[in-house]
Amino acid sequence: MSSRRSRSRQSGSSRITDEQISDLVSKLQDLLPEARLRSNDRMPSSRVLQETCDYIRNLHREVDDLSERLSELLATSDMSSAQAAIIRSLLM
Amino acid sequence: MMISIGGGSSSSAGASSSSGVRVKGRGKPGVAAAGAGAGAVRTKWRSGTQEKIYGRRLLDALRATGAGGGGAPPQPRAVKAAADSALALTARGQSRWSRAILLAGAASSRRRVLVKAGGKIRRHRRPQARAAAAAAKAAAAAAAGETPMLKERKVKERLRVLGRLVPGCRKLPAPVLLEETADYVAALEMQVKAMRALADALAAAQLSSSPQQAEAAGDESQMER
Repeated sequence: MSSRRSRSRQSGSSRITDEQISDLVSKLQDLLPEARLRSNDRMPSSRVLQETCDYIRNLHREVDDLSERLSELLATSDMSSAQAAIIRSLLM
Repeated sequence: MMISIGGGSSSSAGASSSSGVRVKGRGKPGVAAAGAGAGAVRTKWRSGTQEKIYGRRLLDALRATGAGGGGAPPQPRAVKAAADSALALTARGQSRWSRAILLAGAASSRRRVLVKAGGKIRRHRRPQARAAAAAAKAAAAAAAGETPMLKERKVKERLRVLGRLVPGCRKLPAPVLLEETADYVAALEMQVKAMRALADALAAAQLSSSPQQAEAAGDESQMER
């Protein structure tokens, strides 16, 4: 399996052009919140990747914070009210 | 927890992860859409249906942690694990990151001790070596002025960091990694949105001694987004 992987990596670097990569990266840029704010035409690929990494880390941190919050909330409420709460929040 | 991995066409994709470059020929729907763009991915995750499905799965997972007044309250770690596996289930194991999460969840209960010990040691050693090498390269090239080769190295380095952030994507070729990233980012956004909605709704339900109070708290959480 490792030999297959190294082979694909070698042929990969010749078959995947830089243009392809920067094309995909520019599409990734559309997902970033900053891109929407700036309406920036082109950011350098390395910058987009940097922003993406930071954004993912931020989202991870938000999930952690929300997990803390939910843990506290669930300690003091019961599941049936949680179900009612989610139905309400989903319908809202 | 029942794990069903993969839909019809992508069930074979789990077998060999090394042929990521030639995935196009397999007709895997996700990769074909990568050219079509991140917009499709975003629309899929932002549709209300995905969030509803996720909400229900999240509730199931939370209930499974034993939450709900009777037993001990769930630890934040357990809540996060529940949220992540619910997210992976909502993705229906159609992406690498979701399969990685599902597999990790299944294995972790058994192998937790071993993984912790081995993983910790490796994690501390590698980044140091890599960071030192990268810093040396950057210093040398900075003296020479920025060349296309330096840019390419930067991109490669960032791609590697990205591969570590997205579950199960450490050694993927760039196009596949970028496609996984697009899906993962959109999914994470939905996860945050849904968890926040649940937390706000729970908080509102607790505060409400009167219906008006509950509505007011609900309106506040709406305005946030």
